[in-house]
Amino acid sequence: MSTVVKKTYTDEAVQGYNLRTAREEARRCLVCHDAPCSKSCPAGTDPASFIRSVRFNNVKGAAETIRKNNPLGGTCASVCPYDKLCQEACSRCGIDKPIEIGRIQRFIVEQEQAFGMRTIEGPAVKKAGKVACIGAGPASLTVASKLAEAGFNVTVFEAEEKAGGMLSFGIVPARLPQEVVDYDIKLITDLGVKFKFGTKVKSVEDLKAKGFDAVFVGAGLWSSKKIDIPGADLKGVWAATEYLKKARETNGKFDSGKKVVVIGGGDVAMDCAATAKLAGAEKVMIYYRRTIEEAPADIEEIKYVQAMGVTMTTEFAPKEILADGKQAGFVVFEGRDKASEAKVMADTVVFAVGQTPESMAKLGDFNLNGKGCIVVDEKTGETGLAGIFAAGDIVNGGKTVVEAVAQGKAVANAIVNYLEKKEGAK
Amino acid sequence: MAVKKDLSIEFAGVKCLNPFFLSSSPVGNNYDMISKCFEEGWGGVFYKTIDLWPENEISPIFGTPGNAGEPWTAFKNCEHASQNSLEENLEHMVRLKRDYPDHKIFASFMGQTEEDWKLLTSYADQAGVDGVEINLSCPHMGRENMGSDAGTNPNLVAAFTKAAVSGTKLPIIAKMTPNQTTMLPAAIAAMKAGATGLSAINTVKSLIDLDYDLFTSQPAMNGKSAISGLSGSAVKPIAMRFTQEMASCPDLKGAPISSIGGIYTWNDAVDFLLLGARNVQVTTSIMEYGYRIVADMASGMMHFMDEKGFNSLDDFIGLAVKNIVSPSEFDREYLIRPNFDHEKCVGCGRCYVSCYDGGHQAIKWNEENRRPELDTDHCVGCHLCQKVCPVKDCILPGELVWRDGFKPRDIKLRTHFE
Repeated sequence: MSTVVKKTYTDEAVQGYNLRTAREEARRCLVCHDAPCSKSCPAGTDPASFIRSVRFNNVKGAAETIRKNNPLGGTCASVCPYDKLCQEACSRCGIDKPIEIGRIQRFIVEQEQAFGMRTIEGPAVKKAGKVACIGAGPASLTVASKLAEAGFNVTVFEAEEKAGGMLSFGIVPARLPQEVVDYDIKLITDLGVKFKFGTKVKSVEDLKAKGFDAVFVGAGLWSSKKIDIPGADLKGVWAATEYLKKARETNGKFDSGKKVVVIGGGDVAMDCAATAKLAGAEKVMIYYRRTIEEAPADIEEIKYVQAMGVTMTTEFAPKEILADGKQAGFVVFEGRDKASEAKVMADTVVFAVGQTPESMAKLGDFNLNGKGCIVVDEKTGETGLAGIFAAGDIVNGGKTVVEAVAQGKAVANAIVNYLEKKEGAK
Repeated sequence: MAVKKDLSIEFAGVKCLNPFFLSSSPVGNNYDMISKCFEEGWGGVFYKTIDLWPENEISPIFGTPGNAGEPWTAFKNCEHASQNSLEENLEHMVRLKRDYPDHKIFASFMGQTEEDWKLLTSYADQAGVDGVEINLSCPHMGRENMGSDAGTNPNLVAAFTKAAVSGTKLPIIAKMTPNQTTMLPAAIAAMKAGATGLSAINTVKSLIDLDYDLFTSQPAMNGKSAISGLSGSAVKPIAMRFTQEMASCPDLKGAPISSIGGIYTWNDAVDFLLLGARNVQVTTSIMEYGYRIVADMASGMMHFMDEKGFNSLDDFIGLAVKNIVSPSEFDREYLIRPNFDHEKCVGCGRCYVSCYDGGHQAIKWNEENRRPELDTDHCVGCHLCQKVCPVKDCILPGELVWRDGFKPRDIKLRTHFE
């Protein structure tokens, strides 16, 4: 008999380090020259430097390194796909197994909070220049933080009543506890960034008219795709973002379903499956149209949901959802080989097959690609509209938090340049 | 079948089951402790030091430097002599000798005057033990002319040894202090005054990691600490040095040596035997892990003897002594360049960093493939790179180069690493 992972919705998946265990792990670090881990972090968080700080007994210095390089250092510590980035690059892989960089980072940000450190501060004298950020997700938060650190006046406009975007509404708390997100946001708020919640921005032009010198668009992807098959409109059929958001808002106390089929092979699908299981579903089954090797999900996330008793069936795509009254009753699948078939009893079906942007047409006269995402200059995030920048999922079509941070940092630099040029021109 | 070898040895005229003894310390302070250690395989004990004064203990008594929770690199104590009454200690020893006649007990004493020493050692005969160790080396004494004060003064060593000898007919081992530039005058004085053998080292005077609220060291009593004895792994190299100096000293020829200092494993014990010791004493590792560690000391030493073809400890005791020479005698006619195994290399670059910052800038770092390349013009053959490499057998001695004017000839080279 196997021991299955049993936790509640808000229980964390991974045990944290304490000072002793963090140091033990840091001592495994080879302290590389020109460290490959640091070179492979898209956001430039510089793990080699913060691990060395822990090893040489300087946890506070480590916290400063993380926060200076990555305003979402706490969030990234929890959700970053380490095994594909810094940990895959770790030289120690050549000996046995990589340093657990994510867990060390997590420990450091916990210490930062425990010590009440002010790891990031803006200058005493503010600079001229007001910036608006649309959306309070990872990209916007990064831009807001970096600009506030540089001394600019930043206001974030968010349609929801809470900041964080996908971090607060889209990821299962077992992977990313709300307190971690909230603390990242608190440090950004402490920099003087203002948040306007429950506010839908009319247009970027409207913001400029209200006196903002530059506008950053980090609207994210909030329309979940559903596959257009018969029965997709039945009761009990969800889009992933709605399902995850409902779970977050109710702390897992919602009608999550008894027999749940999750369709998809990315981290969002894994989060939906974990959410269903943690919220009390009897049976949770993931169906993915390709193989595990092709699945975009982090292998650790796949292993984790499997350890909870969730099954994952590959190379089956949904063909039809059969009704049981008004509710979903069965899902019919067709094999990739076009010969296999499956009919699975399910009262709940969650489509985790990607998100699309809400329409950007009203917001501004952007250049959009075929998926409805905003086309920008890759390096600067410039949209082509004067003083309007964009980054994050609304540009890249949905990638990781660490990539949103990386882009946010680059765009913040571009906005600083833009504002300084503008100021100089006056 | 498990390898069995004879570990018995004669030390200072006393026949011992094996060379593994407890040193005079908290680990051997009463009947129950010592009977347990004998059951687990220790050959004998140097009983906790007995003096003539009641002991007012401190609390705490110990300190450890470094990172809490990790194996001790060293251990600092401010321990006193036995807290038991003289009568209690003698009674424990009598019972131990009755119940464990084949195991050996050396009573340890410490006096302040010649009269004290004569009186104290006479108790050993009453208790029926096998020998006596005279403690001329405790580094944290509160009284004059005792401990390392006595052990660093050859005149006092001679007088106290002579007095101790006059109180007993048992063999006397004089325990030496490392807290001096040389131990030899004190060791020679002890042997001339009638000691049967020598033991070393007692602990090293020390201070360890300070407390940043109290601004003092450990152990701290009401905000104060003291310079006191350090033991454990950190002191083993110091103990090896003193063992070698005594074993190679012509004036101490034939003096049986019992070595003490940082013994955790059979290798540690073998190191001291190779340097001429006939007995080893252990405390710190027992305080950290318990008496049970003797099982691997004995088994490991037997396997070592089996691999090397030794049948008794006498087959290898002292083999290393002649190979420790003055630096003036070194063969300086060649250098050995390191060889980098690029297959095993994991690309950490530690060799490059250490060679640049702590060596001779003789390693070029290939940023593309993350591999070291040797610059033979700059390499002096120091092998610092090999010492920092985290990968087994990745950096090993490579090409042997004869310096200008010297012809190739056969030399002895190290072949085994790790």
